[in-house]
Amino acid sequence: MNEHHKILIRLTGVTKSFMVGSGRFSALKNVDLEIRKGQMVSITGKSGSGKSTLLNIITGIDKTTEGSVSVNGVRIDKLSESDLASWRGKNIGVVFQFFQLIPTLTIAENVMLPMDFCNTYPRSDRRKRALSILQSVDIIEQADKFPSSLSGGQQQRAAIARALANDPSIIIADEPTGNLDSNTATSIFELFASLARSGKTVIVVTHEREFSSYFEQCISIADGVIAAGTSVNV
Amino acid sequence: MNIRLLKVIRDITSDYAKNLMLVLAIAIGVFGIGSILGAYSVLTREMSSNYLGTNPASATLETESEISRGLLDSVRQFPGIQEAERHATVSARMKVGDKWYPMLLFVIDDFASKKTNQVSHLTGSTTPATGEMLVERTALVVMQANEGDEIGVKTSNGEPAPLKISGTVHDAGLAPAWQEQAGYGYITLSTLHYLGESQGFDQLRIVVSENALSREAITAKAGELSDWLEARGIKVHEIQVPPPGKHPHQSQMRAVLTIFTTFSFLILVLGSILVATSVATLMVKQVRQIGVMKTIGATSLQITMMYVLMIVMICVVALALAIPLSRVAAAAFYQQIAVLLNLELADRSVPLWVPLLQIGSGIVIPLLAAALPVLRGSFISVRSALDNYGVKAAQTRQGALNFISRLSFISESFKLSVRNVFRLHSRLMMTVGLLATGGAMFMTALNVADAWDDNLKRIYQQRLYDLDVKLNERIKPDTILETLRSMPGVTAAEGWDYSATSVVRETSRQVSHTYPDKAHGSFTLLALPPGSKLLDPTLVEGMWLSGKAKNEIVLNQLARSGVKIGDSVKLAVEGKITAWKVTGFCEDVGSGAAAYVSIDDFSRVNHSIGMVKMLRVAYSDRSRDFAYAKNREIEVLLESKKVSVSSSLPVWLLHNAVAAHMKVLVNSLMAMALLMAVVGTLGLTSTMSMSIMERTREIGVMRAIGGTPGKIRSIVVYEGLLIGMISIVIAFILALILSSWMGEFIGNMAFRTPLSLTISVTAFVLWILIILVGSFAAAYFPARRASRLTTREALAYE
Ligand SMILES: Nc1ncnc2c1ncn2[C@@H]1O[C@H](COP(=O)(O)OP(=O)(O)OP(=O)(O)O)[C@@H](O)[C@H]1O
Ligand SMILES: [Mg+2]
Repeated sequence: MNEHHKILIRLTGVTKSFMVGSGRFSALKNVDLEIRKGQMVSITGKSGSGKSTLLNIITGIDKTTEGSVSVNGVRIDKLSESDLASWRGKNIGVVFQFFQLIPTLTIAENVMLPMDFCNTYPRSDRRKRALSILQSVDIIEQADKFPSSLSGGQQQRAAIARALANDPSIIIADEPTGNLDSNTATSIFELFASLARSGKTVIVVTHEREFSSYFEQCISIADGVIAAGTSVNV
Repeated sequence: MNIRLLKVIRDITSDYAKNLMLVLAIAIGVFGIGSILGAYSVLTREMSSNYLGTNPASATLETESEISRGLLDSVRQFPGIQEAERHATVSARMKVGDKWYPMLLFVIDDFASKKTNQVSHLTGSTTPATGEMLVERTALVVMQANEGDEIGVKTSNGEPAPLKISGTVHDAGLAPAWQEQAGYGYITLSTLHYLGESQGFDQLRIVVSENALSREAITAKAGELSDWLEARGIKVHEIQVPPPGKHPHQSQMRAVLTIFTTFSFLILVLGSILVATSVATLMVKQVRQIGVMKTIGATSLQITMMYVLMIVMICVVALALAIPLSRVAAAAFYQQIAVLLNLELADRSVPLWVPLLQIGSGIVIPLLAAALPVLRGSFISVRSALDNYGVKAAQTRQGALNFISRLSFISESFKLSVRNVFRLHSRLMMTVGLLATGGAMFMTALNVADAWDDNLKRIYQQRLYDLDVKLNERIKPDTILETLRSMPGVTAAEGWDYSATSVVRETSRQVSHTYPDKAHGSFTLLALPPGSKLLDPTLVEGMWLSGKAKNEIVLNQLARSGVKIGDSVKLAVEGKITAWKVTGFCEDVGSGAAAYVSIDDFSRVNHSIGMVKMLRVAYSDRSRDFAYAKNREIEVLLESKKVSVSSSLPVWLLHNAVAAHMKVLVNSLMAMALLMAVVGTLGLTSTMSMSIMERTREIGVMRAIGGTPGKIRSIVVYEGLLIGMISIVIAFILALILSSWMGEFIGNMAFRTPLSLTISVTAFVLWILIILVGSFAAAYFPARRASRLTTREALAYE
């Protein structure tokens, strides 16, 4: 259990500013944040409050203007672009709002793609691994179809499977259910919860209040400042 | 299979129509390079091996008296002389049907062991008996005869006598007989005597043993030998040193093929630009996918490699198509030229460097062209890749466009087309550049072909006569001219004179650059009556012969080398050295090096006052058929008056001979024009469809706010037409520059005078049509497809 309470992600004094027409605009202002391993965390806030920016800082997609970000003991704000890419490929699984599957690859191939980029599993094992992940997210029948022939919910499951390809310790999802109906959304959240139970840290940006019961920690953000961080221990 | 590779292949095949276009664009360039360079490499190799294989004489010494066998043996002992042979070249005439044609007889000392200017024996006897001759294989057509036939031959001093064709040879040192419209025969000395000539061998051909490729060394050695001969009482009146080791047509051929190689590389560069623009579009289209791939762990290098691989695969398909096809074209091309140059292609293999160069340039040039968009797309940060929505507002050129908005007479949708055209200025520049270059090359090719034709017509414009008759002996022409002038259809007849000549340098002996066929590299002095009506020279500098001062001379462009107006030149005329004062320079089309003097001056220095050696006759009708009939009448007349004719050359024959020399060149220019038109339209089609594809979403927006499909279509079509129009203007200007440059190059090569700039109206109109139809079609079909998408489909389009 102790292992579960280890702090996985730590942001200290993070500020993110953009140069805009009228001058400097800070999307995040002096943010301190800790997220523990194996937790399911929500990030909520109004549109433009800085949710996506916060996720981008954690994944290394955005560089901090000030402050430090350490994930799993690695100072990711200090990594080079190419080191960051393979680090992210192995340690963080990203799920997008619009699924973003590669349209010219089948579902199984989409799942194999991160293994290919990061050269993680032996080539001959990759398909087997992809199929077993697809099995676990319940869309094994769709493995050899192209994304366009899948429903939204199925596509999002495929995207989650792709995020799990390299067995990352962190899953990050920016409004993953924004494009899905509420039944489908529920099943996606169930899937995230089971991933968290199996030890993965799941961070989800969401607008929908009805799923708040799934989260152990809720981060509420307003105008780039974290308003309240409540940890609910199970 | 590697998933990345799989994605690359699927991306290529999912849009195969467009990628096929790219394949074609590259293939055309690679094809051009391969067919030209393939032909080039085979021809240059075979040309020099053919020519050097004949062991061409380094120099020919023309002596005034006969060379005895004993003397020849001593010459062979002369230091620095590897080979020496006696020879004679006699000009004669041969009778084909009822018409006399010029003919050259090569008198060979020893057929069995001929050492210099060797010919390869093809069929029949190896040594012709007395009364027989071997002929050059290409002469049979001119003679309209076959092996075994007899043909009437007449030398200057003899009576016509039949010679039997007892065999054929190939003489790689001669241009094809049909090109010169002459016959080439090889005979023994006893046959020459049988023909009524009493002369012996008066040419000494030598091959030097050292510095065989240095003209200076050869000239020096030949001079030494001449001194030695003169000490023994043999006067040498001319030394001929043709360009060492070079076939008579070598430099021309090299120049022509260089132009074509340049053209082909340009086509490949244009094709590559097309690849670059398409790749740039693809990168824009896939920028989101790039962002996603980077998010899930792809490094910039991995992404770069994927797109590089994609381009390489397109190139490989293009190469697989183009290389075998270019082999076929190269073979057709070198075979044609081999016939034109009378070459025997012993080895037809295209050297390995040609396909290697094709592979190299067919992959490297497109990759270089696409390098920038690929790198920019691959190294984009994840953040901007995920944010990117294609066209950025900042790229719009506001200033120029506000101006358009104020023009109230233009409809709103046309204004939108104009704005769209300027919106992506780098793409616009590429498309316009592509079309303009293509158009410029298309028009240039046709302009130059037209200029070539015009220049050929100048053969008629400068020569106001239709028949040129050279006589063996000087005659008093008055009665003949009277009779000629009284013939119906004859408008003028004049008596001229001529002599082969060469410039006398400081050394007492004259050295010419004449080849053994006596045509290539020769220099003729023409003497014409004052106020001649049969010549309309193109004077480029100074004045024409005024007749006021003594010994005036006008030189044509080939005789000009380094002389200025007012200079005095010394020329050897019939063995005598004469001094002339240069008053002007003219440009002749279709003749060799020539100089013009007044016949009065000529007769005085030549002691032949009142005599002429050449008749020139003009007809009322310049058509070939009329000339043909009239020429026969005149020949009969001259024969009846016992005038001994050495050659009679109708002007139409000259025109055709010159045209034949460069026919390949003009045809190849046309072929290039065609290829350019194809690449140009391909370019236009692909850019138009790309720009529409890119804006599908925007078209959806226009539909959503009430744009009818027809309106949208017309916006896009105007846009295509506008791009086409801009390119035409630029193409036209470029074509003017290119045409004058090419005309200068080709003209100097062929005539030693630039071709005048000719603007082919046909080419211009044709190109406008190609572009208008092409850009309309290129814009219309994708526009129709896009405008038919439902609003929802278009909005969802990525
Ligand atoms: N590249 C950028 N340049 C300038 N400003 C930016 C940039 N990216 C984000 N911002 C600004 O930063 C603020 C936070 O943006 P962010 O995308 O994090 O909001 P969000 O909370 O995710 O909103 P939404 O719920 O609408 O997705 C916004 O005001 C946005 O305009
Ligand atoms: Mg957001």
